Amino acid sequence: MPSRGEVQRQQQIKGNLAPAIHDTQTAPYEIPSDRYAAFMQPVHDIGGEADVPVVYEEKEEEQWELDTYVTCEVLAWRGVWNAEERRRRGNNDVGLSVYLGAPYYGRWILAAARMLVDKNHVSLTELMDKIAEVKARHG
Amino acid sequence: MAEAKSATVPARFNVGDRVRVKDLPNIFYSRTQLYVRGVTGTVVERTYEDMIPEDEAWNRDDAQPEQYYIVRFRQKDLWPEYPLAHDTLQTEFSDRWLDPA
Repeated sequence: MPSRGEVQRQQQIKGNLAPAIHDTQTAPYEIPSDRYAAFMQPVHDIGGEADVPVVYEEKEEEQWELDTYVTCEVLAWRGVWNAEERRRRGNNDVGLSVYLGAPYYGRWILAAARMLVDKNHVSLTELMDKIAEVKARHG
Repeated sequence: MAEAKSATVPARFNVGDRVRVKDLPNIFYSRTQLYVRGVTGTVVERTYEDMIPEDEAWNRDDAQPEQYYIVRFRQKDLWPEYPLAHDTLQTEFSDRWLDPA
């Protein structure tokens, strides 16, 4: 069980990750069409947006990243998903905060899990039980 | 990519043609970048026929495939403040995203 402090901390982190639109947003009845267009623009379409410089790093893949890649490929070979489904789930349907904030292969493994649940290859409760079991094993 | 079953949409463009990228509504999924929409470029290659992303993303294997093209733009046409007059950018579209310019 999380402590009340842990619950509040997670809510605070989540609040800080919200897209930085400094207008109070409370599911309004109407929105201007330019905001609608901005909402509908796929999150992966970032070409030309202003950003801060990023440090270039040469980094080898870690084992979990290679495992994730192979898992995603095997799911494709078995016909569970195709290339665009993978990209759409992996890159688009995760929301802006996760798209920009999660590690690259983290988005892939979430996409794989999501697809397996969406297509009824595993149930959500099976997946939850399995993650809980592995978490318990690793402390 | 999944093997498409229907006949291909007739290809409308050839290498050297001037084309303008359509600004179709964004809803749920697109691979056509905001920054090329409405901009005119030149077809530099007819690449292949294939399913379009809008169908493949929802696994519509029976949908009509389309011709793909590589289109070259002047960077200055995409980014008015771009400093070099001769630099170009190439990207790829299926037939439906292009209009004759």
